[in-house]
Amino acid sequence: MALVLKGVMQAPVTPLHDDFSLDLPTLEKVTDFHVRTGATGITWPYHKSESLNMTMAERKAGAEAVIRTVAKRVPVAIHVSSLAVHDTLELARHAQEKDADCVVAITPYFWDPTPQAIFDFFVRLGTSIDLPFLAYNSPGYLSGVEITSDLLARMIERLPNLIGVKEASFNSEKFLELSRLGLSMKPDFSMIAGVEYLLPSIPLGGRGSYSSAGAICPNLVVELYRSCAAAEWAKARECQYKISRLWMIFRDQYPSSLKGGMVMMGRPVGPTRPPLPTATKERQEYIRGQLEEMGIMDSEPYGW
Amino acid sequence: MTTFKPGLVHAPVTPFKRDEQIDFSTYGKLIEFHLANGAESLAVPMHAGESVSLTDEERIKLIKYAIKHVKGRVPLIAHVSQSGTGVAADLAKQAAKLGAAAIVATTPYYWTPPANMLLEHFTQIGAATKLPFFVYNSPDEMGGVKISADTVLKLIDRLDNLAGIVDASLDWQFMIEVVSTAQRKRADFQLLTGAEYMISAGATGATGMIAPMAGIAPRAVKKLWDLCAQEKYEEARPIQEAIAALRQAVKPLGVAGLKAGITLMERKGGNMRAPLENPPLAARKKLAADLNAIAALRDEPRGW
Repeated sequence: MALVLKGVMQAPVTPLHDDFSLDLPTLEKVTDFHVRTGATGITWPYHKSESLNMTMAERKAGAEAVIRTVAKRVPVAIHVSSLAVHDTLELARHAQEKDADCVVAITPYFWDPTPQAIFDFFVRLGTSIDLPFLAYNSPGYLSGVEITSDLLARMIERLPNLIGVKEASFNSEKFLELSRLGLSMKPDFSMIAGVEYLLPSIPLGGRGSYSSAGAICPNLVVELYRSCAAAEWAKARECQYKISRLWMIFRDQYPSSLKGGMVMMGRPVGPTRPPLPTATKERQEYIRGQLEEMGIMDSEPYGW
Repeated sequence: MTTFKPGLVHAPVTPFKRDEQIDFSTYGKLIEFHLANGAESLAVPMHAGESVSLTDEERIKLIKYAIKHVKGRVPLIAHVSQSGTGVAADLAKQAAKLGAAAIVATTPYYWTPPANMLLEHFTQIGAATKLPFFVYNSPDEMGGVKISADTVLKLIDRLDNLAGIVDASLDWQFMIEVVSTAQRKRADFQLLTGAEYMISAGATGATGMIAPMAGIAPRAVKKLWDLCAQEKYEEARPIQEAIAALRQAVKPLGVAGLKAGITLMERKGGNMRAPLENPPLAARKKLAADLNAIAALRDEPRGW
């Protein structure tokens, strides 16, 4: 249970063929690209990877491809959140069987679970595996359903394999409540921001983040983490402002525009599955204009 | 356009007598206490000062009293939020005549305004005076109504005196978006945090903080402010955590908790005005125990 997550970890998007079928060879390419360009960990398939638009068989096949491609160069976590709790448990068992390093699960979807129901869910998941796991908090997307500090305290007490929180409230108060509680109970606790809002989270005890922009501008993302860790705040602000500008482009109907932007960086990954739209040619050109304006076309790798 | 920088802004409570009338002599003592304990500006009367429960006439009387009492030792920011645009604009004009240094206003109460209505509301309030004007984003208090970055950019076009935004959403996505895009249009545009979460705000570029908690714990607030002003964010974390604990202790009681906390520090917060109620003894005892448990608050000043 020595796993400590930190730095900027990447979550590969899910490449698709034009008929929307899973493109596993390109998934391996994206995954390898992230590992080569500085990812400190890989997690698949997040919502960004269209997790909820895939079948169980596809999620398992993708997980195996990602684990195989990373080949222990960095830790791999499998995101097991599903509408049905039974599917979540099944995916977690599968991740363990295939030698993943960690799993991640969000609070249950749709049902507005009570704090006790959230607790019971995480206990059921956490005790069903030996792997370490991250609890994923995203009140903004789940109509206010959230992991409070009281709930987190009970979870940490009960579940020795709970190693951290993926925190996607992006809110000073909420992040700090979880961070000060988590770190007081467990000094190695990994508070991980949902996407790369590192500047406001690292000084609150955050250890790193996931990433929205790593498939577009890995150098910028790595530089943001480095400057935050080195307390070079002016530089960190410069990087964070740019990444925020990108996030404003990608955030709506994520990851449609991100996939569109990847085309412009010479790393095409195909369409986005409905109900999410696929970025049009015009949208792709708009994104290219933004990337040029920010100097990203010149400072970041093109192609694989 | 003036480059007025509010810095560390204290937001005094408004003490009431038993008959719910403003207790001006206690108010004068509170102002004196804030000035002696780190206030670089005062904001009067914020929601923490029960602005919403005062008549318009009383608000102006209070601002007049505060300005007379302060005698130019620090600048005074007049809070003029109202449901009606004309009423708010008129309060702003009167405050300017009395010698306020700046105006702050939040979204209109009750009306659930769409963006174009907010734009018009703020344009008219801002245009009512030549003073630096700050808009105040506080979705949790305002039924979810948010000021978007786009509205701020349009206000910059319309108002030469738009000086900045006070943010109480604590939402990193918004804070970074608004400060980075607004400063591209107006370089001296300021972000102030509307609550004592200065680390994340400061790191992302905030240059001011409105601090109602300074009524209870001015030394802790000042220490947090000073460390953040020097960008010593890691060093500021323990005091930030103590202030977060203080906020969490006060929060269930709201403004009544703030006033009760001031009284527990052997000063006088005064009575509440209807519809808010004085907290029952059990709640005050719980608050006293919670405050006692925060070690960092033990060297806060007691009494006046």
